[in-house]
Amino acid sequence: MLQGVNSITGTAPTIDLDAQLMLRVKDGDEHSFTVLLEKHRNPVIHFVFRMVQDRAVAEEISQEVFLRVYKSRETYEPTARFTTWLFRIATHLALNWLRDGKKERGHQRLDAPAKSEMDGELPTREVSDRRPSVEQRMVYETRLQEVRTAIALLPEKQRAAVLMHKYEEMEYSQIASVLECSESAVKSLLFRAYETLRSRLAHMVTGEAHS
Amino acid sequence: MNWINNCPLKTEQTDLLLDDAAGTLARRGLDAATMAALRDHMETCPDCLAFRAGQKMVWAALDLWEPGPVSQDFNRRLWQRIEAAAAEPWYARLADSLRMTSWKPLIPLAAAIMVIAGGFLLDHPAANKTPDVTIIEADQVEQTLDDIQLLRQLDATTTQGSTQTKM
Repeated sequence: MLQGVNSITGTAPTIDLDAQLMLRVKDGDEHSFTVLLEKHRNPVIHFVFRMVQDRAVAEEISQEVFLRVYKSRETYEPTARFTTWLFRIATHLALNWLRDGKKERGHQRLDAPAKSEMDGELPTREVSDRRPSVEQRMVYETRLQEVRTAIALLPEKQRAAVLMHKYEEMEYSQIASVLECSESAVKSLLFRAYETLRSRLAHMVTGEAHS
Repeated sequence: MNWINNCPLKTEQTDLLLDDAAGTLARRGLDAATMAALRDHMETCPDCLAFRAGQKMVWAALDLWEPGPVSQDFNRRLWQRIEAAAAEPWYARLADSLRMTSWKPLIPLAAAIMVIAGGFLLDHPAANKTPDVTIIEADQVEQTLDDIQLLRQLDATTTQGSTQTKM
């Protein structure tokens, strides 16, 4: 980790394992790139998917992310955590896609069917006999659609911050690095985003209590 | 709905409330006394309790959204693209690397250079003297032309006088 301390000197910062792998890629070791790809492929694709809410686009953008990583290997310098750099590229491309196509798409995605190709199956913990009934599936899909819509309606930066905080469990400082803003700005983004989500999703708890 | 109306954490350290709801407050490395005081407050403050319950509800709702598996040929498609990119001519790769370069960090540098250049031009208006020099030169040319004109007139007068004398 970048904030680690060199065991010999006690002062010089060390770099994280991913950055070491990337430096090996820089030296021509393609196997290290495969290791990085296997490790970060799913988190990147899932993050982009939750940002753009379209499976094909998420995979296309993620391909571009890893292609850029590979192409940048010769100039790579471990000045930040590898995941910070990786998610900065992913966020940049996802935000560009959202901004470029906003006018054309409008709110089409929000009206799309609840279950996209990449949405997971109904989690087994939701049901008692591990085979969801039709009613349980409908309830699940309705709630899932509400969650997706609530996230999709967040402003883009708030959405990215929430996804990194909630699903990638990133620290405030790392989210700030990815979004290229201050840590206090990230805290503000997150607080406003969660406040909006609490308001939009409050009825789900109320509904559960009544059912 | 506003979950925290009066609690001082609302305006001072909202991230503490989030960390408390996430159960990651201990990671902050606060000293024991501060942690104990915070815990005491959060266990009794109605606003903090309401915030925690609301936040846990949000996270439970977000947990519903589990993305499914990724396409099995994702890696194969990526390697195909990498190989295709490697086969591109050098100028295409150069253009590509320029496209990928982030110019954002250079904006402050460019702005600084412009400010310095602007200040230099204001402090050293010598560069603006060129038109003055041109004006001076034009004046000199005009003066010279006038002189030539005068000489011609004198010459004409002299020539006319000598002709009359000869006659």
